[in-house]
Amino acid sequence: MAVLNNKKSKVSDEVPTSSMADIAFLLLIFFLVTTTFPKDKGLAIVLPEESETVAVNQKNILHIIIQANGIVDLKRGESPQVQQVNPSQIEGIWRQDVTGNDNLIAAVKTHPDAPYKYMIDVLDALHSAGAERISLQLLEG
Amino acid sequence: MAMKGGFSRKSKVSSDVPSSSLADIAFLLLIFFMVTTVFQNDKNRDIVWPEAEATEKIDEKVKNILNIWVERDGGVFINDRPFAMGDIAGTIGPLYAASDRALVISIRGDREVTYNTIDQITKQLVAAGVVRVVFATELEQRMTRERR
Repeated sequence: MAVLNNKKSKVSDEVPTSSMADIAFLLLIFFLVTTTFPKDKGLAIVLPEESETVAVNQKNILHIIIQANGIVDLKRGESPQVQQVNPSQIEGIWRQDVTGNDNLIAAVKTHPDAPYKYMIDVLDALHSAGAERISLQLLEG
Repeated sequence: MAMKGGFSRKSKVSSDVPSSSLADIAFLLLIFFMVTTVFQNDKNRDIVWPEAEATEKIDEKVKNILNIWVERDGGVFINDRPFAMGDIAGTIGPLYAASDRALVISIRGDREVTYNTIDQITKQLVAAGVVRVVFATELEQRMTRERR
């Protein structure tokens, strides 16, 4: 072999392009198959119809009161007794209470200045416990 | 010329499938799908999601979901436009009727938004006759909850 390679090489100097179409198709199909659009996720609730107010017996209501600083108070029906709980405890409490009363309704009353996340924490616990009768209200007074 | 059989003559027509235009077809398809794919029309806003363990996927077509974005400072956005609180019912109402009552409203609120804002929105939605509402949340792992 000479230092300066003047001899014509017999190897083709072209890049083989015949498989480019295959690669393009492969990429096309790969991305078509693997693309998933992120689905919306969250906590679904059903809002009441307007003017759909139903009088509920006080003993069927579980009051969950969320203060502005995130403290959650629990009050059962008419009893004045207030119990301070952690949002994670609500799941167990609901499960326990609902076995004793099938018509139980969770009334979530949130302080107007409370961050939204505290309400979500409580709603999350109720959803986890399988509660379906939930009333979202604004804490008054 | 002596012929032994009927099949020995070489045909002059090429037996290859013409494949030189295959790449063009591939690119055409690629460009077609790129152009026709539509994404949701509103861009994502800078929101810190509230977290919930019971987060579930919403089984609804994307076109039937309307997002109401609530930013940390209480600003409300629908389809990239800021909305005053009082205008929500008047805007959602016709959209809801046009969708044949199939519309799902996704409230995408920042976790630090005051509940008063959210409550006003839900009241507006009730006034608009909307029934199905979703509070958009991130899935919370049990591990992070225990650490808190």
